[in-house]
Amino acid sequence: MRFQDAAKDARAMVYAGIQADPLVARVAGLLADANAAQRVLARAVMNGESSDPTAWRVMFPTLFGVGAPPIEHPDRVRSEAILAAALEVAGRGDQVRSQFRGAIVEALTAHLLARRVPPGSIHTERRILFDGVAAEIHPYDVTVETNGAAEAYDCKWGARGISADVLHQLDDARQHAADEGERVLPVLVVFDARRSCEVRLARHTAPRAGTRLVSIESLDRIAGRRAEAAS
Amino acid sequence: MLLERIVSALGDLVAAAESVADEWIYVHDLETVWAARLRAIGSERTEHPPDEVAAAIDALVQEAHRITDPHRAIDWLSTLPQATLVAIAEDAW
Repeated sequence: MRFQDAAKDARAMVYAGIQADPLVARVAGLLADANAAQRVLARAVMNGESSDPTAWRVMFPTLFGVGAPPIEHPDRVRSEAILAAALEVAGRGDQVRSQFRGAIVEALTAHLLARRVPPGSIHTERRILFDGVAAEIHPYDVTVETNGAAEAYDCKWGARGISADVLHQLDDARQHAADEGERVLPVLVVFDARRSCEVRLARHTAPRAGTRLVSIESLDRIAGRRAEAAS
Repeated sequence: MLLERIVSALGDLVAAAESVADEWIYVHDLETVWAARLRAIGSERTEHPPDEVAAAIDALVQEAHRITDPHRAIDWLSTLPQATLVAIAEDAW
């Protein structure tokens, strides 16, 4: 088993520009430190239509209302920063915002992983090659490349992104690694509620028993921390 | 009653999302499970909500009604219940 950078085709080069945009890193950094309610705020704003921050503050009274932390409190400062950054993403327009959202989930995953594994072991856009097995067309979004305990991540903005192809690709990595006496833990990261992911998965027959699902409420598990409630 | 407004808004989002034929079943499944979750919470909450919670529900319903793109409506079908539960200080899942 070996890892390899994905080929830099035209799509990859355009997407690399999105991934390198400072706004992606800023949002990912904010979300890495965010609580679950703040992550729901980010999801709502980046999925929404309103560009008026006041409207969003009204929609999220537990973050901005009378019972929310005072305005100088670090949690409140972070809520405001997340709101501003998410509005900036939403303001990029439909086509671009969709690409940004995917890149943000990937960057967030890498950010959280860096709290648990050596940063040098984290890579993006990598293929995993196995002897005698045709390489997958799509690279894995994020990989952790350590001897004996590799991890392969596919990152999705919403539960709708879960497809049979994604599930098969993740399971294939696990199975082919096992065939070579290696271990790859496949992980599906979805910036959406587990309830919605389960709805999506319920009608799929693709193998997923060996794939770990990380949803918006359990993102901190990527960093090795327990999930918290979002309220 | 307050959360019934969100359940109704979910129905409007379903109507907007139904034109994505490949996702018809997923869209209706999402509505079913999230409406059930919201109604379960609503049945436990009989007290009059604080003004800011009522205002939040108003604003969330308005936001849902701004969504006309069917693909965005599918995203919002999952997002609206989570945002609602955060707004009423419930576990968002």
